Parts: sequence; C-alpha cells; structure tokens
Amino acid sequence: MKTKAVLLALFTLMLLKSQWVKAQQQRYTVSGYVKDDQSGETLIGISIGKTGTTIGTLSNEYGFYSLTLPAGEHELQYSYMGYSVHKMTIKLTGNKTIDVKMKRSDSQLNEVVITGKEQQKNINTINTSVAKLDIAELKKLPTLMGEADVLRAIQTLPGVTTVGEGASGFNVRGGNSDENLILMDEAPVYNSTHLMGFFSVFNPDAVKNINLYKGSFPAEYGGRTASVLDIRMKDGNNQKLQVNGGISNVFTRLSVEAPIQKDKSSFIIAGRRSYIDVLMKPFLKGDMKDTKIYFYDLTAKANFKFDKNNTLFVSGYFGRDVFGFGKEANINWGNTTTSIRWNHVFNSKLFMNLTTYYSKYDYSLKFTSDDEQDKQGFSWKSNIINYGVKPSFTWYLNSNNTLHFGVQGIYYTFKPGTGIGTEGDSKTSSIVIDNKHALESAVYLDHELKLLGDKIGLQYGLRVSGFNYMGEGTAYYYNDTTPGVRKRLVSEQHFGAGESIKNYMFLEPRFSAKFKINNTSAVKASYSRTAQYMHQLSNTASATPLDVWTPSSNNIKPQVANQFALGYFYNSPNGSFEASGEAFYKMMDNQLDYIDNASLELNKLIEADLLASTGRAYGIELYAKKEVGKTTGWVSYTLSRSERKTPGISGGDWFLNRYDRPHNLNVVLSQELNKRSTLSANFVYASGAPSTFADARLEFQDWDIPYNTTDKRNNYRLPDFHRLDLSYTLQGKPRKRWKGEWVFSLYNVYARKNTYSVYFRQNEDDATKKEAIRLSIIGTIIPGITYNFKF
Amino acid sequence: MTAKHMKKILSQLLLASTVMLTACETKFDLDIAQGKTIPVVDAWITSAPGVQQVRITETTAYTGTAPANVISNANVTLFDLTSGDSYPFAFANNVYSYDPGSTNSIGVIGHVYRLRVVLNGQTFEATDTIKRVPVIDSLTVEFKEAEFGDEEGYYAKFHARDPEGANNDYYWIRSYRNTLTTRIRDNFAINGAYNEDVSDGIKFIPPISEGITRGDKPFLKGDKVIVRIASCTKRSHEFLDHVDTQVNNGGLFAKVLENVGTNLVNVSGGDLKILGWFGTSGTSFAEIEIHE
Repeated sequence: MKTKAVLLALFTLMLLKSQWVKAQQQRYTVSGYVKDDQSGETLIGISIGKTGTTIGTLSNEYGFYSLTLPAGEHELQYSYMGYSVHKMTIKLTGNKTIDVKMKRSDSQLNEVVITGKEQQKNINTINTSVAKLDIAELKKLPTLMGEADVLRAIQTLPGVTTVGEGASGFNVRGGNSDENLILMDEAPVYNSTHLMGFFSVFNPDAVKNINLYKGSFPAEYGGRTASVLDIRMKDGNNQKLQVNGGISNVFTRLSVEAPIQKDKSSFIIAGRRSYIDVLMKPFLKGDMKDTKIYFYDLTAKANFKFDKNNTLFVSGYFGRDVFGFGKEANINWGNTTTSIRWNHVFNSKLFMNLTTYYSKYDYSLKFTSDDEQDKQGFSWKSNIINYGVKPSFTWYLNSNNTLHFGVQGIYYTFKPGTGIGTEGDSKTSSIVIDNKHALESAVYLDHELKLLGDKIGLQYGLRVSGFNYMGEGTAYYYNDTTPGVRKRLVSEQHFGAGESIKNYMFLEPRFSAKFKINNTSAVKASYSRTAQYMHQLSNTASATPLDVWTPSSNNIKPQVANQFALGYFYNSPNGSFEASGEAFYKMMDNQLDYIDNASLELNKLIEADLLASTGRAYGIELYAKKEVGKTTGWVSYTLSRSERKTPGISGGDWFLNRYDRPHNLNVVLSQELNKRSTLSANFVYASGAPSTFADARLEFQDWDIPYNTTDKRNNYRLPDFHRLDLSYTLQGKPRKRWKGEWVFSLYNVYARKNTYSVYFRQNEDDATKKEAIRLSIIGTIIPGITYNFKF
Repeated sequence: MTAKHMKKILSQLLLASTVMLTACETKFDLDIAQGKTIPVVDAWITSAPGVQQVRITETTAYTGTAPANVISNANVTLFDLTSGDSYPFAFANNVYSYDPGSTNSIGVIGHVYRLRVVLNGQTFEATDTIKRVPVIDSLTVEFKEAEFGDEEGYYAKFHARDPEGANNDYYWIRSYRNTLTTRIRDNFAINGAYNEDVSDGIKFIPPISEGITRGDKPFLKGDKVIVRIASCTKRSHEFLDHVDTQVNNGGLFAKVLENVGTNLVNVSGGDLKILGWFGTSGTSFAEIEIHE
C-alpha cells in the first residue's frame, strides 16, 4: 500500500508541474496518423520531432502520434529506418491534425543523414529489455526448409533460448516457456508452433511488427512473468490490390490485400498450408493411404476508418495441425483467435483503443478400431477459451508527459479433458474432468515523463491485478505430506456458477529510468514485478500440444517474478550502429514442478501431483547491431544462469533448469552482393542443456531400469549446441508489377548432430546391451528453396 | 488414451515423416561417475501354478554388459495374510524360490500378501493384493505387408474383455515369443483402455489388444505368440507405468529421468536403503502358433 501512496503523490506532483508549464505559454497539439505511402499501412514507432531539438515523440501501435508545441512556426521531421525522412514546416495557431505518408527509401544503402533526434533509438526510449524485430530483417534470416519464421528469429536476440531444436516455445531470461505471453493482435495465443515446434504459427506475410518485452514491462502488460511477445498483423493495403505468395519445401503461402474503399478501409487474407502429405501420398500403401499430416493457418483482417477519429479493426486467425494414422488415429489441434478493436481519438491529446477478443486453443484425439464387427473407439478432447476486453487510454499531456491507463478483464473457461470410450454402437462410457472457470482483471496507470530536455526519462506505473478462481466447479483440498509424494485428498467441495473458490490480488509496480550521458550513450535501469495466474502442465523435455493449461487455484499459487535490470546503450552518431549491454537479476516464486511419475492427463486430482518451486535467474546480455550499409546484421551474446529449488526434488537443493544455457551466442550477418542478390548467415552457439543421466540400472522383471543414484536432477550437460545456416536471395529481374525472388537456404551447413536429449534403453537387437542414446532432431544439412512473389 | 501414449505415437509419426530424413539416434558415450551400489528386490508373485521366484541383486553401471551381482545372503519369506500361510523362499541357482508343486498355486485371487526380506540384519516389508483377472478368449494373427516403419510379418491380437464393475481394474499385459524368457512388449491398461473411471467392461481397445507385436520384428511363421494378462493393484500399476516410461523413453517428448520408487519399507528403522518392488498378480495366458 505504501508504494501505492508514494506513487500517487509523485504522480500528482508531476501533473501539477505539467499544468504549471502549460500556463506559461500558449501551446497547441499536432496529432495524426503516420502511414506508408504505397500500402497505406500505419507505421509503428515512427520518430516525430522538431528539427534541431530534442522535442519529439513516437507513433503508437496504431500509427497515431500527438505532439504538443508552443504556438508558432516549427519544422517537423518524421523519420524511420528504411524510409526517407519526411520534413514539413507548420504554423501552429491552434490544434492541428496532420496525417503523414512516408516513402520507403529505395535502398537501405544510402546512409541517411538525420539532423533531428531519432526517438525510437534505444538511447532515447526509456525501457530496458525490449527487443524489436522488423519484418524485413526477419525475412533476411536463413530459414529452415525455406520458411521465414518469427519464433526462430526472436531466438537470435539476447536473453532468448530454447530447450532444443524443434522444441515448442522459447525461454526468456531463465523463465519457462509457459511464462511468455504471446499476443497476436492483442489476443493471447496458447500454442505458438506447428508440427510441435518446427514452425511458428504466424504467417510472415501477414506480420507487421514484433516487439519482445523481456523484463521491464510497461504497466499495460501483465499475466506472464518472463516476457510479452507482441505481434501486430498488417492492416492490408488500402491503396491498391497486392498479392504476395511463396512456395517453399514445406509451405505454400498466399496473401491478398486490397482497399475496400481507398484510404479508408482495407483487408488482408493470408493463408498457408503444408503439403508434405500431398507429396507423400503416392508412396503410401493400403490403409496408410489415409495418413494425414498437414498444418495450415489462415489470417484475415479488415479495417474501416469511419472518420478521422474512429477506426475499427477486425482480425481473425485460425490454424490447425492434423495428424492421421491410417483410419485408426486422428489427432488435431490449433488456435482460433478473433479480436475487434476500436481506435477512438477523443481529442488531439487523448487516444483510446478498445480491444475485445476471443481466443481458443483446443485439441482432439480419436482412436477407432478398423474392425467392422468389432467397432471400438476412444476419443479425447480438451480446450481453453478466453474472452477478453481491454480499453486502454493514452493521454499526451504535453511533449514531456504521457499517461497510459486502462482496465483489463479476461474470462477463462478450461476444459481439461473429456474422454469417451465406445464399443459397438450402443456402449459408451466417459470420463469428464470438470470444467474450470476464472476471471482475471487488472487496472493500470503508467506515467512517462522527460526531464531536463531529454536527459532523463522516467516511466513508472502500477498494475493491480486480481484473479478469481470460481465455479461452476469442484475444489479439492489436500493434506500436506512429505514433499515429492502425491498429496492425499481430504475433501472436495462443489461450487455453483460464479461462486468464488479462491481470490488473489497483486500489486505490480513497474519502474524504468533512463539517463542520457551524451548524444550517443545512455544508462537505463528498471524494476518490475509481475504475477501469472495461468500454468501449463508439462513434464516432458519440451511442452507438447497436449499439455493442458490450468488456472491458479486454492492449491496452485500464482507465479510471481521480481526483476531488476541495468543497461548501457550506445548509438553511433550517424545512427548506423548500435550496441548495448544489460544485466538482469530475476527472482521467481511458485513455478510449478511435478512429483516423480506425475499423472498429468485426464486426472481430476492433478493438483495433488504438483510442487511449487522457487527460481532465480541472472545474467548479462550483450548486443551489437549494424543497420545501414552493404553489410548488416547483429551479434548477441548472453551469459546467464537459471535454476530452481523444489522441496522434494534433487534433495531440496538448487538445481539447473533444463533451459539453463550459460553461454549463448548468435551472429546474424547479411551481405548485399549487388543490387539483386544478398547472402545471409546465421551462427548459433549455446552451452548444452542440463540433463539427468543414469549412473546405474536396476534389473527387474526382465527390464533394465535406468537409475540415478545421486538423486540430483540435471546433474550433467548435453554436448554444446552449435549450427551455421546460410541463405542466398536472388531478386528476379524487375518487371512492371511482378516482383519475384528466389531464396536458397542451407540449414545446419556443416551437418552437426546436435543433441536434443539423451535417454537410456536396451539395445533393440540385443537386450543384454544397454545404451545411452542421443537424439538429434536435425542430424544433417537441410536445404531449402523458396520462390516468393508479389504483384 | 493417455497423453503419454499419444505423445509416443505423435512423436513416432513426426519422426517417421517430416524429419524422416534428418532426425537420428546415435549412441552416446556416457562419461559419468560410478553410481552407488544399492540392493534391488525383484519380487512378483502370481497366481500361476508352480515355482514362484524372488531375485535380489545390486544396482550396476548402466552400460555395463555383465549381469548384476546377485545377493545370496538374504532371508525371504512370503506371508498370505488372508489365509495365514507363510512360504519360506530358499536360495539356489541365483534366485530365491518356493515350489508348492507344479499344479498348486501360492497366489490366490483376493488374498493379501506380505513379503519380508531380511538383509544384513535389517528387515524390509511390503504388501500387495492379488486382483481378479479376465481370461483371454483367443489370439488371432494377421499377415501384413511392410508399411510406415513396420516390417512385413505376422501381427497378433488378443481378444479379452475387462470384467464389469468393482471400481477400476488395472492390468499389465506382456507378450512373449516362443518361451516365457523372450519378452516382446508390455502394455498397461486400466479397465479396457487407459484411464480410470472409463471403459469399464469393454473389450481391450486396439492399441492394447494389438500392442503385443513389435513393428520392427513382427512374428514369423513357426513362431509361438504367448500373451499374459496380469492384474495389479493401483499402486503396483503406477509403479509399472513409471518403469515403462523410464525404459521406453525417447523421442521429442522424452521424459526427464525420474527414479522409480520402491514399496519395500525398512521396518527395523535402520538406514539401509533398498530398491525394487513387491507386486502380486492374478495371471491368465494364451498362446498361438503361427502356421500358414
């Protein structure tokens, strides 16, 4: 409560100060949207500044900006990497609306001289621990099987690791993969990969912008403790019809975007489908003809600009992975999201976005006997559904003060699983795990201010989040027992719809500060506290599509993380080079762990098998990037540690997380050979993942059971991971409208067999031989060819 | 279907398809410290007539090729707590055994048993119950051509039905080739399928009834297929399921190595630790010889 009081006092003071400033001289506000002149696509993070001064702002996620200046004449400058600087002189005698269309520069080769301040540069922003990725940069990265990939790309950034190649999800600063909030047009996405980890579910042709918050979350974000991956989809070209497409080893892609009404409304529809099953078909015999292995996704979005103050966006996503094994097995899973957003400009200083969304992740498994007289089957379904609403406001008080505030609410229903067994046409039996319900809510207020010109930047805020685990449902109460042993059920109680079973509330203060040392460097610090009320139950090496999510409850406490970060940032004077170093320390509470041989499926007493851990992670992240010139690219290196302590595991001592990778190096280089061709390379090095090895075996009933007599978890490390990928892009000869390009890629150039996991088993041919087996998900060089086109 | 089984199937499908050309398993040279030596009790008493055996060994290096050291100085006694009978096991030929005569069984369905092992002056005990077991109606075989990673050969299926009622029934199904010393596969069922409170009284579903053949080495002409259904208590079933996860681990969704537990409790209060399990089962067998 004390923190809250202090913050309130501070806040009032700041407000007073700004009011006082206002009284001194008549001021007016310039506001509007910034767009790309070719596509009409709104541009995020464009720097808008008064030439020759430090006064300026950035366009927000919807391309809106607002800048308050004294009355009189000003030269404004709009700039962004890859675009020609747009300059204009305005005479302010009242509030003005100026929508600006920016021109893409022909080539990034021209070293653009920018006389003003580039607001988006990391020495000018306030937050630490934010990584941005431009979709153009992403497409330059060498690919796996020819498919540009969002999640693979963010793994080249400092502080981001994975448990192994082909693993679903990623790990940020020593957090588990379920601690990342992945938002697609503001709707949460629960399973971010196709094919259980090989490709991300986001169609690169439909993605506009990617932001990864690794720690100092603005108060607007919450609900997960490790990171927020904020993916914004394209709005669709509102100038002319545009078709993008591509054919690669794995996917065929096609997207169509066009104006509905020029300058006012547009749509985009983008689809992808894998076609390995089509290629495989001729080689399958008998009932295997029915084998299905494919995945697809469809993204659609439309926007309508009603007037200069009201814009509506409707976006939808549908993706599915389908696996069928003969007629006997049929498995499919996928995400569905819909979001409707309304941008409203109350006045030149107050902007609102209201988002409502729906998100669903579900899977279904079906097993049927192919025997006609002997019909039998078993099916299993599970899902999680969210309904969310979040009005958010930005109040541009003046050029030094901005307020962000809003309210958020999410209603969850969880269907942990229903299993139905059938025999013949009549006999059915089923197991239904009760649905679970919860309401998550939050209010937040965040103040961004600049002091001493732009020497000092502060952003501080408070998020108050609450969680209500409620009926209709059954709450189970357990006896505490020896840690590591299944808890015993004491009682259970049924709760009616809407009745509260357990409530939680957390104060989540956020704070970031920047001190600009000079024109090229700045020091930043941040602190953030985040709470997480959603947990994915998974005790395999990497999460599977079948691992269910479960809410915080009377037995599962919310996860909480406290993180400190300190960083040094450098931008070269001409803006072509940047570098940064950040140190972080993170403490985590109530991360889930599992008793040995926990039963996580179709188990209503699942909470009896869960353990709570304490975690800690710390490290240093170094990053250098060159954005301009014939040679571009970045290098990131992270030195870090991630460990946890769980009563009942590893003797209650600290042990390393599977995603602890002390050394992690990524080098991405792109060399423009000539106007038409580019060569790119990506090198990754990471320390081997910790793993538990057997130092003994038990002979039991003709089995040889691996056993670890030390009882220490993750007592060894897998061999180091490293890999080099190359790609060569050749632009087709320029034609009137048609633009084509070939991308040739080689993944894992020197064919290293990186170890994904090691397990222990009897030799398949000779049971007297026992072996440790190393699994390499990718054990050879993988070529990829893609043809991309655009007209 | 539990996710464990599904994950296995998924993982196989995945490895067999898209990354067929790229994923690979290679031998890994373990360079680790020698583990501790701990006694291991392997005791599974069944309702089958004839000799019953208990084996006591020591843990041994995982990749060692030599069989485990046999512990010969233990004192092993089985108590039928329901009937009050006790059976002293005698050590000979590396095992402790008791022979009630080839037509008699010491395991009776519904009886509760306690195993007592005295080792180095300390006493260990565990109890288990013999549960009901369904008969196997028949075994059938079908010749299949090679497809999708499975070799050409004879694939067997057993036909049996889970008895209705009486809460959940837990089973361990093991298949053998020619003799009871060549184990082929193990499956673990609850009622007629994989989960509690569902599939009561049904015929064992196909992944279980057809899960008695190894796809990489199907049965051949002249082979004898033997199938055993062994009933278990819930606790023993959980132990076996844990063992199964550990010995058949692998693939994309490999589980972390988690040590299997033991039900043998040191009742002398000493600090000597032993591993292993005492389980009891009602068993039923069926066999078929493959001709033309």
